[in-house]
Formats: sequence, structure tokens, C-alpha cells
Amino acid sequence: MIPVWGALVRVLHWSLVLTVAAAWLTRHSPGRWHEWLGYGTLAIVGARIAWGFLGSGHARFADFVRSFPATVRYARAVLARREARYLGHNPLGGWMVIALLSMLTLVGFTGWLYTTDRFWGVPWVEALHSTLSDVLFGFVALHILGVVFTSVRHRENLVAAMLHGRKPAP
Amino acid sequence: MSRKFPTATLVAVLSLAPVAMAGATGLATCDSGSPDTWQPQEKLTAALNEKGWQVRNVKVDGGCYEVYALDEKGERVEAYFHPVTLERVKTAAE
Repeated sequence: MIPVWGALVRVLHWSLVLTVAAAWLTRHSPGRWHEWLGYGTLAIVGARIAWGFLGSGHARFADFVRSFPATVRYARAVLARREARYLGHNPLGGWMVIALLSMLTLVGFTGWLYTTDRFWGVPWVEALHSTLSDVLFGFVALHILGVVFTSVRHRENLVAAMLHGRKPAP
Repeated sequence: MSRKFPTATLVAVLSLAPVAMAGATGLATCDSGSPDTWQPQEKLTAALNEKGWQVRNVKVDGGCYEVYALDEKGERVEAYFHPVTLERVKTAAE
């Protein structure tokens, strides 16, 4: 087993799981819990984006964000059941990271917008925040499916790898 | 066991989503009978705007009118009103 995911990547990942789940559960709750969870989520997203540039190894965006043609090639290989195993994120997983971070930012931003005097109570802002969060949860579901699929395909537990950070050597 | 926990939790959370998305928020409930007997939303909006509020949106929640507005002091409020009496109803947050 070799180290793949550093402590910061893992802590930020599972912190996001917790704050997003808690934000979802408190979406109609009295008090300001939902807002603080939103700000917390944005802070974690900001830290992860910074680490994508400042970190090292598989934490870096440069390690896992690949070109459109390379990603299509990988997707075709998956369909043909002959895709390579990646230690870090595979090309589709890499774009999923970008999609999730983008959606979290948009959901957080529209949520904040709704708390400003200018946009408080404005129906389209609320609808946008809620639709974007539906899209986010759609991506979360695809992310989980991708993790399960890839774990089965390469006979490794990717959920465990995101917990202890290690994966079997290639 | 422990390694399956986060996935199982997320899946549980996701599958609960559609159930909880429908229906009332539970912030307040009004025993207000059939909507035929309610006063029109426009009347409530007009009365609130009259006293200096800036009503942004009125929804129905838990048999109450749920009003999003800036009040006369310019504070953001989410207030509940009984649709028959148009009296303010206290919410779980108040």
C-alpha cells in the first residue's frame, strides 16, 4: 500500500460530506444553522481549490484535470471495459471534482445572495439556489456511483482509500 | 463495517431527499380549514406594505401565509400569518 491522499485532502473531503449533509438537513430549520453551514462549506471549498494549486502529488489539479479528448478516450475505454487504473483521480473522476467544487460554489453563492437585503425573499433567487442544489446532489449521486463502479472494476475500496489515504501499489 | 459507513449515510440522506422536499417546513402551522375561507394574499400584502413593509414573496406553508419581506425597519423577516384572521403567527424560530 502506498500513500495517495494526503491528510488535508481527506479531512476536506469528509468535512464537505458532513457540512453538505447538515446543510441539507437544516434547509428549513429555524435559526441560522443553514447559513453558517453554507459559509463553512464555502470555506472548505476555498481551501480545497487553494490546495489544488499549492498542494503536491495527487492533490493538485494539474495531476488529475485532463483534456477533453483524453477524457473522452478514457470514457470510451470504460465502455469497452479496458480502462487503465489510476492511482489518483481518473479523467472522469477529475472532472467530477471540478463539477462538485463548481456546484458547491454556485449553491453557496446563491444561498448567500438570498441573505442580502437586495435579494432576500426574491422568488427566482430561492428557486435558483434550490435547483442548483438539486443539480449538486445529482452530481453527488453520480460521484458515489463512479466510486462504487471503479472500486468494483479495479477490486479496490476507494471509500477506504479516502479514509486512510493509501492504495495498493500498481 | 466502519469503511462502509460514509457511503451508507450519504445514500440514506439522498434517498430521503424527495420525501422531505414535499410538504410543510414545520416552522409554523395554522388551523385554517379550507382555502376557500381564506382572505386573499393580496389583502395581506397590501396591509403589510401599508405599514412600511416591503413584501417580496408570499407562499403557503403549514396552512399559513408565509411572507418574505423587509419590515418597516428594513430588517429581513420571514413571517407567518393566519390566512383567515391575517394575525401574525409565532414560528419555531421566534
